[in-house]
Amino acid sequence: MSLLQLDQATIKFGGLIAVNSVSFELKKGDLFGLIGPNGAGKTTCFNLITGVYKPTSGKITFDGKEIGGTPANKIANLGIARTFQNIRLFKSLSVLENVVVGGFLRHKTPLLSALAYMPNVIKETESLKAEALELLKIVNLDKVADVRSADLSYGMQRRLEIARAMATQPKLLLLDEPAAGMNPQEKEELNAMVKHIRDEVGLTVLLIEHDMRFVMSLCERIVVLDAGKEIAAGPPDAIRSDPKVIAAYLGEAV
Amino acid sequence: MKFWGVRLASILGAVAFCFLLEAVAQGQSSFVQRLFVLAGLYVTLAVSLNLINGITGQFSIGHAAFYQVGAYTAGFCASRFFAQMNLPPAAWLLLMMVTSAITAGLAGLLVGLPSLRLKGDYLAIVTLGFGEIIRIFAQNQEALGGAYGLTVAPKIQYVWAAWLLAILCIAVCRNLLRSAHGLPFLAVREDEIASSAMGVNVTQTKVVAFVLGSMFAGAAGAILAHFESFVSPPMFTMDVSFTIVTMVVLGGTGSITGSVLAAILLFYLPEKMRDFTNIPLAGVAAAFVAISAAVFAIRWVMQNFHGSTKDRAIRYLGILVGAVVIWFLSKALLGNVPSLKENIDGSKLRMVVFSVTLVVLMLLRPQGMLGHHEFSWDWVRSKFGKPTVKEATA
Ligand SMILES: Nc1ncnc2c1ncn2[C@@H]1O[C@H](COP(=O)(O)OP(=O)(O)O)[C@@H](O)[C@H]1O
Ligand SMILES: [Mg+2]
Repeated sequence: MSLLQLDQATIKFGGLIAVNSVSFELKKGDLFGLIGPNGAGKTTCFNLITGVYKPTSGKITFDGKEIGGTPANKIANLGIARTFQNIRLFKSLSVLENVVVGGFLRHKTPLLSALAYMPNVIKETESLKAEALELLKIVNLDKVADVRSADLSYGMQRRLEIARAMATQPKLLLLDEPAAGMNPQEKEELNAMVKHIRDEVGLTVLLIEHDMRFVMSLCERIVVLDAGKEIAAGPPDAIRSDPKVIAAYLGEAV
Repeated sequence: MKFWGVRLASILGAVAFCFLLEAVAQGQSSFVQRLFVLAGLYVTLAVSLNLINGITGQFSIGHAAFYQVGAYTAGFCASRFFAQMNLPPAAWLLLMMVTSAITAGLAGLLVGLPSLRLKGDYLAIVTLGFGEIIRIFAQNQEALGGAYGLTVAPKIQYVWAAWLLAILCIAVCRNLLRSAHGLPFLAVREDEIASSAMGVNVTQTKVVAFVLGSMFAGAAGAILAHFESFVSPPMFTMDVSFTIVTMVVLGGTGSITGSVLAAILLFYLPEKMRDFTNIPLAGVAAAFVAISAAVFAIRWVMQNFHGSTKDRAIRYLGILVGAVVIWFLSKALLGNVPSLKENIDGSKLRMVVFSVTLVVLMLLRPQGMLGHHEFSWDWVRSKFGKPTVKEATA
């Protein structure tokens, strides 16, 4: 069953067509890669899917619903969560608090009870924190739960972004260059982590990555963008030998 | 049932504190009683603005507008309805606090809804404008007493009411921050785009903070109106708003404890200055020289040395001694300058001292007195060498 479908999605910024009639489809349980040279329009694709921008034309369907132009917070509630290429953590909040913000969209108690700090709010806060701690274990950050998130190392911050996104309990997880700035060992761990998230937690994952080796070893299907256009799509082996892809990545090892 | 036991005890404690203040104030001059009440009101104003500016990260610089809406609501209602209602003063005051909170909250909604949708500094501009508009509106409205103002009867001068409101305001903000519900507010302050990606309705969160903050300012206005038994436009000029902003910034944006301390300090300091008379101007000028020198020396030490606490203490002591020496020397020197040979009164110096305090603080501690920190018993325990609860159980 198709979970996410882009149908000729297009967005223009003035004269620049950042995403030009891009179509692809994700099935439930996919581990899907979105690649392309810098400035190809990958992040903009994420921004279209998550409601940061409204598509100029084209359709985006999630779980049977057209979502193009729906506000970002509603999209999160529908079940799409994301991380950011340029890390956007809540810097002065602790690691645990960052994750609780993600889980908060499932809260049940009204604000008025919170202002009076009623027992039901105390209980809910405790359970959200407990849930968050479980997620921190998955990304191996439970030991630093009380640390200010800005004080984490770069690799840890990337992992915290993943935990925060997972806390919204999404159906679809979008990861924007999760391996950027990581050393080989951290990348190895991340690879296992993403597999675990798909296989054990059962999320569908769409990931942007610049590191070819990383994507090829992780993703089962890949779409390649170049200058806003989709130039290839298919399994890693087909992508690797596609002349258009090689031309787009001229000089880079694919 | 432990919860309700603790809750009852804290409510009783708060009420007891308020009436203790009332009892202390009763024996004092009306001037001191006034200080007690206004200090309570400023604590409310600072803590409620801290909810908007500190916790939610917006920049409202027109908080006095909602204080005014509250005060005029109470004044207007008192002049029309008090006589017929036949209520005891305390009940009337509580009723007015609620009514004023509602009108100020509505005003907050009116101002906040359009301007909080936008990113950037629109809120600052709109709130500044609204403060002026509402003041000038009252000035030109016959029903609101025009430029002369409204006489508010009855005069109700309860110290307890002002402090009960302050404690309620502190409790509400603290409760919010203790529960998960506070996190979206902080998240909006940290990063709006990431917040909305996590499902937070950013505009709604900002509006809620703004309306809630306005409501507390409105309730404070009701107390002011009945305390002064008079409201007039000059009581709510821009510098009232700026004073409140200053309190929040000085205390450390986001810190409730900081707002409370800064409100009391900044309110008390200028009042205290009135007591000093015949201060030689040369001495004041010399003090500025010494303070400036000390501030730059401290900044230099802060940036260049990171030794142990003892090392730093010795350096700071050295700076203190140096500053006193500079003060004596420059006093002797400046004493010969003809224009500095006069004496002046403390009341004239109030605003200077006020601003110098601020400049010094901003130079040495730009995050405010408490930064993002709050008072907690764990912190007190750690200062006295006892393990904190967390450490002890770990
Ligand atoms: N808000 C915007 N306004 C104008 N141009 C934009 C905007 N967002 C992205 N772009 C442009 O769209 C193109 C694609 O950017 P992006 O999606 O970030 O590329 P990448 O594939 O590296 O993630 C770039 O040329 C970028 O400058
Ligand atoms: Mg990008």
